[in-house]
Amino acid sequence: MPAPVNADLIQGRWFDGQSSRARPVMVGLRATPQGPSLVLHPLSQPGAEPVVFAWKDVGWPEAWNEHKPQPRVVVDLRDHGSLEIDAVSDWRAALAAAGERPGLAQRMQTRWPVLLGVTAVAVIGLALFYRYGTPWAATQLTRFVPLGWETSVAENVLRQMDDGTLKPSKLSKERQAQLKARFDVLVQQTPTTFHRYPNYRPPLSLEFRSGMGANAFALPGGKIVMTDGIVKAAADKGLPDDALVGVLAHEIGHVVYRHTTRMVVEQGVLNMGLGLALGDVSAVVSTGASVLTGLAYSRSHEREADCYAIALMRHTALPTAPMGKLLLAIAHDEEEEEENKKKEEEEAKAGQNQAAAPTAEPGASSPERARQRKKAEEMASHPVWSLLSSHPDTVARASELEKGHAPHCAKN
Amino acid sequence: MSQVPSDQAGAAGPVSTFMPQNIDAHPMEFTGSGGEYFRVWIVNVLLSIITLGIYTPWARRRTAQYFYSHTLVAGSPLEFTAQQRKMVMGFVLLMLITLAYNIAANTGQDAAVGVLLLTGAVLSPLIWGSAMRFRLGATRWRGLRLQFTANWKEVYIASWPLFALALVWFGVFFGMQLLSPELAEVLQEVEEEAARPKMPSFTPAMGALLLLGMVLTVLCFIRLEYNYKSLLVLKAQVGAEKGRWKPVYMDFVKVWLATVAVFILCVVGFSALIGILAGSSIALVASQSSRLGLWMFVIIIVSIIAGIFMLILASAPARAYREARMFQLMWNNIGVSQVARFKCHLKSGSYVGLRIKNMLLTLLTLGLYRPFARVSEYRMKCESVTLHVKGGVEQVAGAMVRQQQNGLGDALADAAGLDLIG
Repeated sequence: MPAPVNADLIQGRWFDGQSSRARPVMVGLRATPQGPSLVLHPLSQPGAEPVVFAWKDVGWPEAWNEHKPQPRVVVDLRDHGSLEIDAVSDWRAALAAAGERPGLAQRMQTRWPVLLGVTAVAVIGLALFYRYGTPWAATQLTRFVPLGWETSVAENVLRQMDDGTLKPSKLSKERQAQLKARFDVLVQQTPTTFHRYPNYRPPLSLEFRSGMGANAFALPGGKIVMTDGIVKAAADKGLPDDALVGVLAHEIGHVVYRHTTRMVVEQGVLNMGLGLALGDVSAVVSTGASVLTGLAYSRSHEREADCYAIALMRHTALPTAPMGKLLLAIAHDEEEEEENKKKEEEEAKAGQNQAAAPTAEPGASSPERARQRKKAEEMASHPVWSLLSSHPDTVARASELEKGHAPHCAKN
Repeated sequence: MSQVPSDQAGAAGPVSTFMPQNIDAHPMEFTGSGGEYFRVWIVNVLLSIITLGIYTPWARRRTAQYFYSHTLVAGSPLEFTAQQRKMVMGFVLLMLITLAYNIAANTGQDAAVGVLLLTGAVLSPLIWGSAMRFRLGATRWRGLRLQFTANWKEVYIASWPLFALALVWFGVFFGMQLLSPELAEVLQEVEEEAARPKMPSFTPAMGALLLLGMVLTVLCFIRLEYNYKSLLVLKAQVGAEKGRWKPVYMDFVKVWLATVAVFILCVVGFSALIGILAGSSIALVASQSSRLGLWMFVIIIVSIIAGIFMLILASAPARAYREARMFQLMWNNIGVSQVARFKCHLKSGSYVGLRIKNMLLTLLTLGLYRPFARVSEYRMKCESVTLHVKGGVEQVAGAMVRQQQNGLGDALADAAGLDLIG
């Protein structure tokens, strides 16, 4: 036999792919620069030339367990059939002697330190990717989304909302015109240096609706909707229109940063990426991860819009404190409303022995209720609960707005 | 070679009449373990995370290779020989289609979504066929490739229940309009986006029509399953030997009826259990507390939530039962031409028990028990099958088959939930 064989020959059974008949062979491995090559010595025909298979012409079976090899391995010889080997430990030893370089998967499979190292890399990498990578990619991808698409989506959404929860505004024509004038002035004063997308110039417009409580929202493509509720809330608290202008500045921030479009991209990356990565663990884990990350993105968008509002208001020499007060007042009202509702329900359930309990005055809260509210606020600002919220903590936001600067805003 | 005439071997009744002298019994073996597969699985999950999911086709190949190489058929392991390149290309294509669909759905382009869904429905037999072609073609045993030899015409003919299903629902839709002209008006109004219409009255005739539609739907689905399974076995080939198939349509219907019975039994059992629990807790609370109202409310809410959860749980035994019965039906009644027969001694009861245990443990561990569950279920099914070979395993001969399958069908089938393993 002329071939210098690296290790002792191993017995095997060769199936040629033509029939299920096994032919006894001896298998040798030879080190080559690319990796081990396989030499097949047929035993059935004495004197036959050994067949040599290069490294890349063989499907090498993966080693699954270092300590307990499987009872039998099959080597894929592609179109030349397959090779069954019983002496798996000898086969592994021969492979190692012939200079086998196992892939990452096999090293993770058989060596604990590699597995732990990759686990650490995966955890850190996942956190970094979803913290910085996805938002960055969304920013870049959003550059390619045309304004026309945003406008058509916004029209669709607004039409659906008009058919559903929203009603035409009941504000007087004069009041609407007044606020629109303030809005237009604000838009004209917006410096172009504030824009993240230099060529993105959506036509900004303001509309009024009633319904949805005290709220304002921005649609992609530049349409901003304000509800009667928020105008009324500002009036009730005796706040100047600067409060509403601040809210509008926040919404303009959402528009010029293209937050809706970015959210569509980010949510797409999240659902697909996390679905693929964690979907095999369980649907609960992958959906939970993608919901939590989506909420984190939403909070960062709100912070960005707040920063934009602070910068724009400062640029136009308007105060941001009224906006902060409005934010607090609305949150306060909503809480009270909820508590009133709860209380009413409890009283209704407590039985009919007490005749018509008087509805609580919103202003005069008993010490008991103040304590309860404090507890609720503490709970809401607890880090675990804040993970489940689409907006950052209201009290922190309001105090930042009142001060007119926030630590997370980039300095201009 | 055996002297047994073919019709005698074909009438595989009790095992004793089917065992002349030179038939060897080879129980199938599975030599893997849950712990080992957990390692395979966790490696796949980690690499998928690092590569943002792109590792998926490699992960699928590793998983298939783990299960195949630990499955011994007559002492020889199975081989999964799919080309990685083909699997990756199929995966990339699938991702592009998914992306297109998501963009269309998210941006409200209803026409594009409709076209995509309709194309998917019309092409689904093709997808199934190419997935089966891929899977059988990627399987090798003793050097011989399995083959799926059905052509597209045969696949589409076997898919007739799918198109009958569309007809049934067209019929139900128009029948409804005929029975109730008001409903037609309402639909018209909805189309024209008019003001909120009031719902028309529901007559017994309409209920009967709806029920008929549902029964026909189920029958169509059973027929489809029967057609696909029989086509898969009859058109499967190892070497030159073709698959044999004995079950008839009624066998499948019987399995389904038994499944429905199991499901009803489970629902009744669970409801009784919940009823007793809720009743006793109401009684307990009522005896202790005078403030009955609020507690009553809480208990009712809790029992409704528990009830919905239990309903999902209640369908699990029925699903496991159906799977076990179907597995027995298949592996007791198929074979490879005159060469081999399979026998299966899977016990439905123990399989259902195993599945329930696995489901609970998987829920408790947030999915970390899944690899162990998978291995234990695969092992129970695999080791219940015995291969009876006439004339030895060395006799199968066939022409050389080259491997050139497209991986897209497999990727699509995977997305549709057709598992490669199991």
